[in-house]
Amino acid sequence: MKKKQSVAKARQILGEADASLLDLVDHVLNKGVFIEGEVLLGLADVDLVYLRLSALLCAADRMARA
Amino acid sequence: MSLYVYALVGRPVHPPLGRGLAGEVLRLVEMPGLLVVTGRIERVPRLTPAALRRHDATVRRLATRAQSVLPVRFGTVVADTVALTRALRPRIAGLREALKLVSGHEQMTLRIYGDAAPRSDDRDEIARGSGQRYLARQLRARSVPEVDPLRRALQGLVSAERVERHERPPLLASVYHLVRRGDSERYLATVAATCSRLAGVRVSPSGPWPAYAFAPDAVA
Repeated sequence: MKKKQSVAKARQILGEADASLLDLVDHVLNKGVFIEGEVLLGLADVDLVYLRLSALLCAADRMARA
Repeated sequence: MSLYVYALVGRPVHPPLGRGLAGEVLRLVEMPGLLVVTGRIERVPRLTPAALRRHDATVRRLATRAQSVLPVRFGTVVADTVALTRALRPRIAGLREALKLVSGHEQMTLRIYGDAAPRSDDRDEIARGSGQRYLARQLRARSVPEVDPLRRALQGLVSAERVERHERPPLLASVYHLVRRGDSERYLATVAATCSRLAGVRVSPSGPWPAYAFAPDAVA
């Protein structure tokens, strides 16, 4: 249940295809020191976020050229 | 109450550190050889664009208070200082090295879009042993031949580089560069001047950022 909510939240965030926000997600959520603790998104979710991030960065690039 | 962890910083640190995501006062937790910036929070912050921006803004503010700042991933919460020490103690040497590397620096990011450069002859690849194939794959994952002229032009400005190939065209790769604080304008000017000479690729720069991609485990 908790995982489903996290995924839904990630989708909601990444649904706003704003290049600067995507850069922010890549840096703040995918990078940085990883410390074992209670991380809001589990590792699987972070991978999912990253997949969608790459897809949206591509989409944003196409929109920028159009 | 739990500890939200924002960043690792090196000495000297110039207070005040200000407030964090939930408006909490930021505090330093001292460990051998490094300082950790934390805030006491009641619950884990929800993942929202606003929360991501506040986390980033907090780390950026810390960069005005210390020369060495290594950001911690968004959403990292530990029970208390004992749990924090337990998690970091085995990695202190590597983290201190990383802090030394980012001292006085900030990060610039390049997104590389376009057509991938042709790869080495696949027949050579088949003829290699599995070890050689593995090493070749590792090397390829860290190279961006599509923008080699740009990387050469930036050489004098870049202290360290991390490369992440995506293999999801049109996004080919992300390149993260560590540049001295204050050099970001020259970096962007060099990118703008060199990009027109690159064939088949488009480069989108952003920054300066705190050194997110230069944590020891930031880029796979």
